[in-house]
Amino acid sequence: MKRSVCVILALCVVLGSVYAAPKSTIKIAMIVESTVDDKGWCQSMHDAIMAVQKKYGSSLVEYSYSEKMKPVDAGSAARQYVAKGYDIIIGHGAQYKNLILEMAEDFPKTTFAFGTSGEIGPKNVFTYMPESEETGYINGVIAGLVTKTNIIGLVGPVDGGDAARYNRGFILGVRSVNPKAQVQVAYTGSFGDYVKAAELAHTQIKSGADVLTGSAQQALGALRAVAEYRDKPVWWVGQDTAQLGIPESYKVIAAASYAYEAVVESLIDKRQAGILGGECIPLNFANNGFVYQFNDKVGPVLTSDVRKAAEKAKADISSGKLTIDWQSVK
Amino acid sequence: MTPLNIVLNILSIGIPFSVSLLLASLGEMFNQRAGIFNLGCEGIMSMGAFLGFICAYYFQNTALAPYVNLLGILAAGVAGALLGLLFALVTVTFHAPQGIAGIGLQMLGIGTAGTLFRHFVGGVTGIPGLPSYPIPLLSKIPFIGPVFFNMNMLAYLAFLLVPLSHYILFKTPWGLKVRAVGTSPRSADTMAINVQRTRYQALAVGGLFAGIAGAYLSLGQAKMFADDIVAGRGFIAVALVYFGGWSPYRILGGSLLFSIAQSLQLSIQVLGINFPYEFAVMFPYVLVIVVLAFTRSAAVKGPAALGQPYDREKRI
Repeated sequence: MKRSVCVILALCVVLGSVYAAPKSTIKIAMIVESTVDDKGWCQSMHDAIMAVQKKYGSSLVEYSYSEKMKPVDAGSAARQYVAKGYDIIIGHGAQYKNLILEMAEDFPKTTFAFGTSGEIGPKNVFTYMPESEETGYINGVIAGLVTKTNIIGLVGPVDGGDAARYNRGFILGVRSVNPKAQVQVAYTGSFGDYVKAAELAHTQIKSGADVLTGSAQQALGALRAVAEYRDKPVWWVGQDTAQLGIPESYKVIAAASYAYEAVVESLIDKRQAGILGGECIPLNFANNGFVYQFNDKVGPVLTSDVRKAAEKAKADISSGKLTIDWQSVK
Repeated sequence: MTPLNIVLNILSIGIPFSVSLLLASLGEMFNQRAGIFNLGCEGIMSMGAFLGFICAYYFQNTALAPYVNLLGILAAGVAGALLGLLFALVTVTFHAPQGIAGIGLQMLGIGTAGTLFRHFVGGVTGIPGLPSYPIPLLSKIPFIGPVFFNMNMLAYLAFLLVPLSHYILFKTPWGLKVRAVGTSPRSADTMAINVQRTRYQALAVGGLFAGIAGAYLSLGQAKMFADDIVAGRGFIAVALVYFGGWSPYRILGGSLLFSIAQSLQLSIQVLGINFPYEFAVMFPYVLVIVVLAFTRSAAVKGPAALGQPYDREKRI
């Protein structure tokens, strides 16, 4: 027992000291295409920066952001941030790639970052990539165990980036516990078309799907569609923990989220160590880049067996015992 | 699933999906029949979607709860009509270029709706929305009952507006005036038809329809609001007016064709048919273009004065 406690304490110390407080004031700016309260993509990064700012104090971490920035408009905002002496400028979205690469050439002393992307950028550009096959796998395990019809719906935005990784991880998770289950994968072709996502979810449910999942902002439309089957055993596993706090949460068995604190802290840490870019920062369970929560209020659908299987998958992924070959899924 | 079930599923999802396009297109048809094309339809729909949502959101736990959807639809319609009048002021009275003014209205509508949403609500949240209203007896008819007679009230109203719009446009004096000012405003003027007033009225009606179309999206389909909820449907509605040859019944056909094609491509994906999803997503748009290209009759001509401002003091 004592030994276990010692190990846990030692781990806490190690984890707690992964990132040190900034030695001097660091100024971070973020540019987003949506808003910082969108309960999705942009809010997750905003919340992470705010959490890091709260941790170290606003005197050490200064933060500003610009919302509703189309890539063509974002250049002027980014240049203003450079002129004001910001150290790190994050274009939160792969659509800012070209802008960031151009800016990075003009301002070599500023650190730029954009994601999600697995590319290795120039010397002063970081990228970040959630390894979302990990959260997809756990959600897939739950879906595979919960389904009674053996038909599972996946409402995708586009087959690219972290959504592609999530989808493939999800399929592997389902297969690991229920090889007979069929995953109906379909795409809306848009990250923000809530109406089409709802329509797609209805199509899947009418085709027999009784557990659905989806990613990006549009997934909320699909969850709304699931919630319309109030008295029917149709369930949702989410890729955003904000879905656990909304009125439709009675359909959500569990949900994962990105915890961008790991990325933000890493950016600060590396910048202060003199590394301005040239790396891709991953987000995974091992570096606390994901949060995973069960919905205890969802009712008997979340059995102890389901929970145990999901927790085991999470533990195996975190420890490195289970690696997910998401690229093996076509 | 049997092929029949697949077809019924496609129809039962595709037909309600057509409602917002149908309403917005009918409204745009009145605009264009009067000689004004309103590219701001998307913005009006956005405002309608927001007002429909906000009424339901704010009053859902008050004594007004049973009427929140009706209130939302009314508010959306009134706001749409007012935005239509604003557009009329800019294009009819001030003779601003219609295309540019329409783009301005689109940005104004989307921006205002998004800003008000953030101020009054904050983040994305759901509402109960419009419930389905199965029509007694008819909804029990095998196969077609659940497809055609199990929709919400606004959807039934939208389909009833098709013959009503046809009647108004082709059988009433006001409809004749609208067509006259859209075809030859000077001739209409010489016949003592007040061109400006008629165009104002047509734009108000068009705005009213577009506002309600937006409310249908937030109240009847998504049952929530988000900045980009309209997602280009306003522009599709404008295209459907051309597709439908400025005729209510043809516009209905176009709306149904587009929506059922949309539902079909989703079903193709869901059924796991080996077909690149990128092409599946494109399918409804390509289909409309192809049908338009091959079926467009030379006899169907748009309103002759479409897009032309009218100034009685100017001689042509």
